[in-house]
Amino acid sequence: MLLNVQNLQAQVEETEKQILKGLNLEVKPGEVHAIMGPNGAGKSTLASVLAGREDYEVTDGSVDFDGEDLLDMDPEERARKGLFLAFQYPVEIPGVSNKLFMQTAVNAMREERGLPELDMFDFDEYAKEKIELLDMRADLLERSVNVGFSGGEKKRNDIFQMALLEPKLCIMDETDSGLDIDALRLVANGVNTLKNDQRSFIIVTHYQRLLDYIKPDHVHVLYNGRIVKSGGFELALELEENGYDEIIKQHQDA
Amino acid sequence: MAKKLSPVAQKARDFYLHEAGKLGDASSGVLKQVRDQAQEAFAEQAFPTAKDEDWQYTKLTGFVQNHFAAVQTSEEVAGKINAYMPSFPVIKLVFVDGNFSESLSDDLNELPDGISLESFADTLSMNNELDKVFAGQDKILAEPFGSLNSMLMRDGFCLQVSANKALELPLYVLHVQTKAGSISSLRNRVVVGENSEITLVERYVSAHEEGAACSNIVTEIDVAKHARVKQVIVQQQNDSSYYFNNQFISQADSSNFNTFFASTGSDTSRHQNHLYMNGEHIENTQNSACIARQSQTVDSRSYTEHNDEHGFSRQLHKFVLDDKAVGVFNGMIRVDQKAQKTDGQMDNKNLILSNTAKMDAKPQLEIYADDVLCSHGSATGQIDENQIFYLQARGINKAAAMQMITKAFLLEPVEDINNADIRKWITDQLEVALAKTHLPKA
Repeated sequence: MLLNVQNLQAQVEETEKQILKGLNLEVKPGEVHAIMGPNGAGKSTLASVLAGREDYEVTDGSVDFDGEDLLDMDPEERARKGLFLAFQYPVEIPGVSNKLFMQTAVNAMREERGLPELDMFDFDEYAKEKIELLDMRADLLERSVNVGFSGGEKKRNDIFQMALLEPKLCIMDETDSGLDIDALRLVANGVNTLKNDQRSFIIVTHYQRLLDYIKPDHVHVLYNGRIVKSGGFELALELEENGYDEIIKQHQDA
Repeated sequence: MAKKLSPVAQKARDFYLHEAGKLGDASSGVLKQVRDQAQEAFAEQAFPTAKDEDWQYTKLTGFVQNHFAAVQTSEEVAGKINAYMPSFPVIKLVFVDGNFSESLSDDLNELPDGISLESFADTLSMNNELDKVFAGQDKILAEPFGSLNSMLMRDGFCLQVSANKALELPLYVLHVQTKAGSISSLRNRVVVGENSEITLVERYVSAHEEGAACSNIVTEIDVAKHARVKQVIVQQQNDSSYYFNNQFISQADSSNFNTFFASTGSDTSRHQNHLYMNGEHIENTQNSACIARQSQTVDSRSYTEHNDEHGFSRQLHKFVLDDKAVGVFNGMIRVDQKAQKTDGQMDNKNLILSNTAKMDAKPQLEIYADDVLCSHGSATGQIDENQIFYLQARGINKAAAMQMITKAFLLEPVEDINNADIRKWITDQLEVALAKTHLPKA
């Protein structure tokens, strides 16, 4: 088991509003899971809590990641252990080049894995391979992190980072939101290129359309802080057809 | 009517007037007139207080408690000079406690034809056209520290470049303070002829670690048609010292002026550009990168006049403030009725590292032409938590993330320095200063 989430409960730190109310999820190496659900169900909160964002406080439950207690780790430690979050809104960092950012990040991973640091030249070569693999623009490395990027470019930059960092588990937080069909294909193509029998994905999304390109092994419906239904790809199709109304009706809190 | 001064300020004023009286270098002629007018202006202005709009946030209450006096002879600093030299080749000009040091400087007679460089002391004693040298006094005397400078000035440098000349190496002007209680009253004059080019690097340091000294500088720069002047000024005096610099720049048609100010030292520092764009198709950049911590005050300000068509001006002023530091930015772009097609942009951005630091910013535009593109902006904030988290989520620890973001923030204005050696050198200086803030160590 790569990820084992048991009875996870979390609230917004500031308002103490409970968002996750006992969530269970098991992900094996190489599996692709889709987490779908209506707005406000807790999808992005789940992604944020797993990545370690400080705005949320875990009040109960456990998360085991590759045999270690994930909740005990700082965000950077989680990343170093192989957890990757693709952001719904990748952040702009003026003045920091993608190259400096990624060289620092890649070397942080390598340190964790007991590998020697990549110098500037080795890194350039390594990065060039990934840029070619994903068919991205060569000037990507020279630009400031996400500054002046379109929404699609920002998300492709996240996929590029994913390729460089070679994580074990990739959590895609509504990566499809706001993407046109071409950008969506490019992102999906990136994910499919990086998918292998060891690397797992959790795709958090409201819509089924990304799942046409990245076929999940398991589909879960998140509603009101819990996973209320799980199934195969047919569940995604069913939700696309009927929407979330039926599920909301069945599971509404009294 | 002379304004009402506190007893302490009054004493300081009387002290400096007395110091001016002791100079006795001008019994008649232009210099005497300049000294007299300066004394008169200073007696009237003395030291601005928080009631003066332009001095509301830059307090002189500490400054007036000192009585800074000029010193003639100085400690031996020859052994220390190397530590203040950059690794790239330059023409070296060294001042110790405000006095030109011939022995520590490069040989000024070996400059290329058409380029003359002399100490301002020599200009004062030997130039027989002092009326030309002091043609700009009216503007200078409008500033209290311009008046103080005019009545006490003794040395500095005077650089004249004739037409179609390029000074290939940067002129590196090093000012070393060695004594607490001393004042360097420096007057510099730079006249760059048509289609000529120079690069100036000016650095202010203290050889003594403690004890206040003062640098009070007035620099006039005249940039002729098609000439290009690049300037970098670094203020790194010890934390109890004072720095006041008034620069008066006049640009002619199609000239280019690029100035950068870095400030990391001094108790109180104030750097002012007064820039007059007196011609068509003029371009300029005025940037600054300031770090202040503990109880330091750093004030960077600019007054820019677009007086003719197709002027292009850019400004980026960045401050990083820690502890109880105070940052002050004041910028004014004035666009004359005649200055159509002006393109002016002024930005000020500030990063606050503590809960007690303070930034006062006042960007202003005054536009009398109707076909112009002008913008100004100012933003102050703390490091964005989202940026930190983004870097953490890629495996970079929080301290390193904060350092990376702060460094990138501060260094943005450095990018406009196009000499790679100087850019690298300035970057190193600023990084050393950033390491003294309370940013967590990576």
